[in-house]
Amino acid sequence: MSTRWYPIYQRGNPQLRVFLPNFWMKLVRPRGTQLPNIVHFECSMEMTKHDIKNYLNKIYNIPVVEVRTKIFLGKFKRDIGKGYIVKDDDIKNAIVTLPKDMKFEYPDIFEKAKDETEEQEKALTEAKKSFQNYIDRNKNRSDVPSWFSI
Amino acid sequence: MISYLVRNTFARILRSHNAVNIVASSAFKKDIHTTIPSYELMEFFDSKKNWTETSIRVGRAWKLDELRIKSNSDLHKLWYVLLKERNMLYTMEHECNDKMKLFPNPERIDKVQESMNNIETVVRERNVAYYKLETGETGERPVEDVVNIFGLPEKYEKSEHYLPKFMNTRWVRPYLEHGFTNSAAVKRFYRLNREKQHNNDRKARNRDFNHVQQLLKRFPNMDMEKLKAEYPNVDLEKAKRSKKARGHYFPKY
Amino acid sequence: MRLYGFLAKKVGDLTIKYSNFPESYVKRSYEQVYWKNPSNYPQYPKAQVARKNYRFTTNRPWTSQFRMQNERNLHRKKVFLEPVGEWPIFKGDRVEIMVGKDKGKQGIVSQVIQERNWVIVEGLNTHIRIVGKNEKKNFPGITIQSEAPLLVTTDVKLVDPETLKPTEFEWRYTEEGDKVRVSMASSRIIPIPKTAEETMEYKSKEVYIENLEKDTVADAVTKVTFAPKLRTFEMDIMEEMGIKEDRVPAQSYWY
Repeated sequence: MSTRWYPIYQRGNPQLRVFLPNFWMKLVRPRGTQLPNIVHFECSMEMTKHDIKNYLNKIYNIPVVEVRTKIFLGKFKRDIGKGYIVKDDDIKNAIVTLPKDMKFEYPDIFEKAKDETEEQEKALTEAKKSFQNYIDRNKNRSDVPSWFSI
Repeated sequence: MISYLVRNTFARILRSHNAVNIVASSAFKKDIHTTIPSYELMEFFDSKKNWTETSIRVGRAWKLDELRIKSNSDLHKLWYVLLKERNMLYTMEHECNDKMKLFPNPERIDKVQESMNNIETVVRERNVAYYKLETGETGERPVEDVVNIFGLPEKYEKSEHYLPKFMNTRWVRPYLEHGFTNSAAVKRFYRLNREKQHNNDRKARNRDFNHVQQLLKRFPNMDMEKLKAEYPNVDLEKAKRSKKARGHYFPKY
Repeated sequence: MRLYGFLAKKVGDLTIKYSNFPESYVKRSYEQVYWKNPSNYPQYPKAQVARKNYRFTTNRPWTSQFRMQNERNLHRKKVFLEPVGEWPIFKGDRVEIMVGKDKGKQGIVSQVIQERNWVIVEGLNTHIRIVGKNEKKNFPGITIQSEAPLLVTTDVKLVDPETLKPTEFEWRYTEEGDKVRVSMASSRIIPIPKTAEETMEYKSKEVYIENLEKDTVADAVTKVTFAPKLRTFEMDIMEEMGIKEDRVPAQSYWY
């Protein structure tokens, strides 16, 4: 049977177990400021609070105190060309409370990248400048090859 | 040869009192959680040196034949490695979109997903083999060919109940018993549906015929056998004779 | 389903092979789906509003140039493709050009664009393009020599390895059962070149360098750990983890 088929439960049956869970969860930056022991996730729409707790506990070994969930309605947009209305998918958000002594701060992933882009921009302006210089220098001698100079 | 994954994992049983138990096979559990650096949550992110990388090249997905030679417990461990990898990729993709950055190598998500689908296929194959040997049936969800209420053939996927059919008064599926409902409305629907289908077929036929005519016009030296192989339902002789197939050159046929 | 007829395979096999991407990624990178019913809900039929026809060019389907050439309100004339049957010419093949200003010259195929029946021959059949010309800033632009694609059916012919003349060829089987191209002029086998398996990432499979952090090493993949047992996957895992389960499921009925 498909690993996705969920058998019915009757009293006295063996405990239902999921061997290959297909749920996804992603850690997202909290909207607004948040206490240090609270983490925000987006997850599969089918997940319940129990599932979320189990998932984090069993797969990631994260101790979970409390889970609250929220479903954000997807945005409605008007299609630019034809004018019909398109709705984005709803998003299930899980707000997970960790034990008091645990702290989590969402890391700044592109911190280093900022410096790099600045450097790249600098190099680009330098290159532009030198190219402009080169053009100005050779303006009045279009028949002379570029390597020919003092 | 080259594939995605496998870090050292070993199994551990973890139980809970909740209704559904995730039987996870994952990295070791820390019984005492320490303060500040929460490494478990950092598993949702890529390793730190990949954060600013613009291209992260990886191998291909696991193939079915490579998974068939792996034991059940290996597949189970592999599933969780892939699941974590997929969560990590989703998280990184989300963050990149948030910060208006380019997510490096988005095809990694597809590679992981493909591997996971293949694992599921292999597990299913093994289970079907077991059930066929033991019970003579596949053990899959039963499917029946029925005629639905509109008189159309349908694959009816049966579902599981704890009451037998004759006792279950709340379960109502009249069309399974009656099949084609012999009412005027359904007859009319059936006729219209057949008309629609006929029109679709006709349009497809004409479309192919016109296409072949245009091809004959453009490529008079074309290999006719290959053309016939690609459009088997088109009458080539008729198409050749038609006016549309004539180009601005002396006709060859 | 008719609705999905237009989503049938359009990108060539060789293109996907060359890209080294999963097919699903290539598909989702070039497709333009404007609206779609939520999937996996029984109440919604599989319906979507998507672009039907794409103009394939020398730009590969997963690139941004491809997307720019296929902007939403940009629709171009239908392209008619001569049926080629089995794909004849591969990257790295020596071909002779039969048309145009380089007619009669021989060259090596550097690119194959299967969606349009095109091949690009290295350094031949070229034209000059002027890029970045700016009258206001008095910039004359940069001249680039770029190769124009050639039709695989009529514009190029494979070169016979013996006579070095263009020749027709035929697909035949060797005694070992391999499918090979055989020249009609000299009945010699024209081998498929090694460069045909070149992808965007590596020249050949042997020279691929593993990403040690992410990839499984080859030895771990080829190791056989499967031992047939009379157990389902679930039973096997439970036994291995020491989960004891004696309870027998109550009878259930399928209807």
